[in-house]
Amino acid sequence: MKKITIQRISDLATQLMAKGTLVAPVNEGSGFNFREIFDAKQVDLNFYNTLMSPKSAFFPHTEDFVRYDKNKSVLDAQCVELNLKPVFLFGVRPCDAKSFEIMDIHFSGTGAVDPYWKKRRETTTIFGYAFDPKTPADGADFYSTLGIGAADPEGSDILMMKKGDDLLLKAVTPKGENLLSSLNALTDASADEEKYFDDTVATGKSFKTRFTCVDDKVIAKKLEDLFHKTEFWEKISEACLSCGACTFVCPTCYCFDICDETLFSKGVRRRVWDACMFTDFTLEASGHNPRTKVYQRLRQKICHKYSFHIRKYGVISCVGCGRCTRNCPVNIDIFSIVDQALKE
Amino acid sequence: MCSNNPYIPMPVEIIKIIDEVDTHDIKSFRLKFLNKDDEAKFKYLPGQFSEISIYGRGESPIGIASSPTQEGYVEFTVQRAGAIQPGLVTAALHDMDEGATIGLRGPLGNSWPIEFLEKKNIVVVGGGFAFTTLRSLINYMLHKDNRSRFGDITVIYGARTPGLLLYKDELAAWEKRDDIKTIITVDKRDETWKGREGFVPAVCKDVAPSPKNAVAVICGPPVMIKFTLPVFFDLGFSKENILTSLEMRMKCGIGKCGRCNVGFKYVCSDGPVFSLAELDELPRDF
Repeated sequence: MKKITIQRISDLATQLMAKGTLVAPVNEGSGFNFREIFDAKQVDLNFYNTLMSPKSAFFPHTEDFVRYDKNKSVLDAQCVELNLKPVFLFGVRPCDAKSFEIMDIHFSGTGAVDPYWKKRRETTTIFGYAFDPKTPADGADFYSTLGIGAADPEGSDILMMKKGDDLLLKAVTPKGENLLSSLNALTDASADEEKYFDDTVATGKSFKTRFTCVDDKVIAKKLEDLFHKTEFWEKISEACLSCGACTFVCPTCYCFDICDETLFSKGVRRRVWDACMFTDFTLEASGHNPRTKVYQRLRQKICHKYSFHIRKYGVISCVGCGRCTRNCPVNIDIFSIVDQALKE
Repeated sequence: MCSNNPYIPMPVEIIKIIDEVDTHDIKSFRLKFLNKDDEAKFKYLPGQFSEISIYGRGESPIGIASSPTQEGYVEFTVQRAGAIQPGLVTAALHDMDEGATIGLRGPLGNSWPIEFLEKKNIVVVGGGFAFTTLRSLINYMLHKDNRSRFGDITVIYGARTPGLLLYKDELAAWEKRDDIKTIITVDKRDETWKGREGFVPAVCKDVAPSPKNAVAVICGPPVMIKFTLPVFFDLGFSKENILTSLEMRMKCGIGKCGRCNVGFKYVCSDGPVFSLAELDELPRDF
């Protein structure tokens, strides 16, 4: 196990930047976000969690597929290559690290493999960053409901933890181990520090955020049974503006659009994030749209995460990070909806 | 990134365009692969679909209308969409000439369950424009290498008017064969029409295919499906033995973009073919 004084964190950042691309939390005034770091001093670990989830490290808001010229043959279209240096994704909270594993099942573990997700995942080393179990949980979080601990190492290659003025770093995977041993900005941690680290990982398991007892199969079935109970969905979606903010900040929302953007004759086919909250998401060329009403779309989102995803992939598509609740302009809270559904 | 990437279309050339109906808004496009490797990899079965791709316009999921037994090309029958909003891809395709090059991704989705259909009597019921992948299935079953694998084949196909029937030459050829029973009907006859008049559900009731060792494969507009299904239930067909194909808005076609789900199934990758028994498990959200 290794450590570094938090004051000297920029030394570590400098070393990582020399090895590849460093993506880390940056204070942007209105909150923190993951950004590519160009100045090592920007790295700032004094945050609770970032505004946007770190999914964009693997699933960027826009991903270019092909460059084309409408006046030329399809044979002249150029597929866009992904030339990536090693990426270090630094400061990922345990619930977010868990989200990568959930997204892996969808993007690369089942059916067709998404080559962009796979390649970005392979080139990235994840530095997890434990929540401090001594700090009270943010009111929006409910990761413990989903079985995720405040200091869980799952999903990280290296797990980092604050202890006083120090940052402790422990390898979780062989990839993390190799990287740690090559970083001479770090010093060896003591046996006491290692014990503190392991104890915190263990106590993090019992750290309670908002909690309700959710059994995967029970909630999946419950929502299936509730699906056609329109009054329930109308009530919970009454305030919803269909703005889609909840899906954009979500670490496990993966819906995307593929669109062509042409300026004069030249253009790019790219994928961009999309949201099941938008009215035209399911609008067919015939004019038919199975989800014209707000309640149908919010129902789709809740049921997808807490029912369909379980039926399809065996896991809940939510990690309880609380971002959708924090960012909803009308205070819709997915935790309360699930809680209410269970009581129906 | 460029090889084996499911999002990158293969280049194809339009080698033939067939104007199918007298309203000229449905055409068949015969496509030839420009790379031999792509052609070799494009192994499909009836019931599957592809994304037709036109750079600058986008992509559209379209059922494959040709049968894999027809070698050297793939065919798609496409309606120019735009009654409600402009169909960008289909309109652009309809404006193209033979010799134009476009893109193709696929084959996508599951297929009509060929192994399940083998040794059974097959009743194919189609309405209007929703006959494309049924035509693929019929031509596949009728091929000399395949015909003996299936029992009796009955086709009941209807359109609003005689001029709206697709694949008129093939329908005429099937009517002449004795190894397929072909029943063509129109909702409203005109002076040229000497055949049957009547809605598809009524004709199905009249023909009354036996449910014994039989599977019904039904595609058509929602109103036809709505009135045809009870006929088949009354005849004694089980929900496991009635198959259909769903449509939803799609983008990726490979189960990734999250758009075409009905409950826990993605129509693009778990479907588009489902039995009624399978659909019963899903919420009514399509």
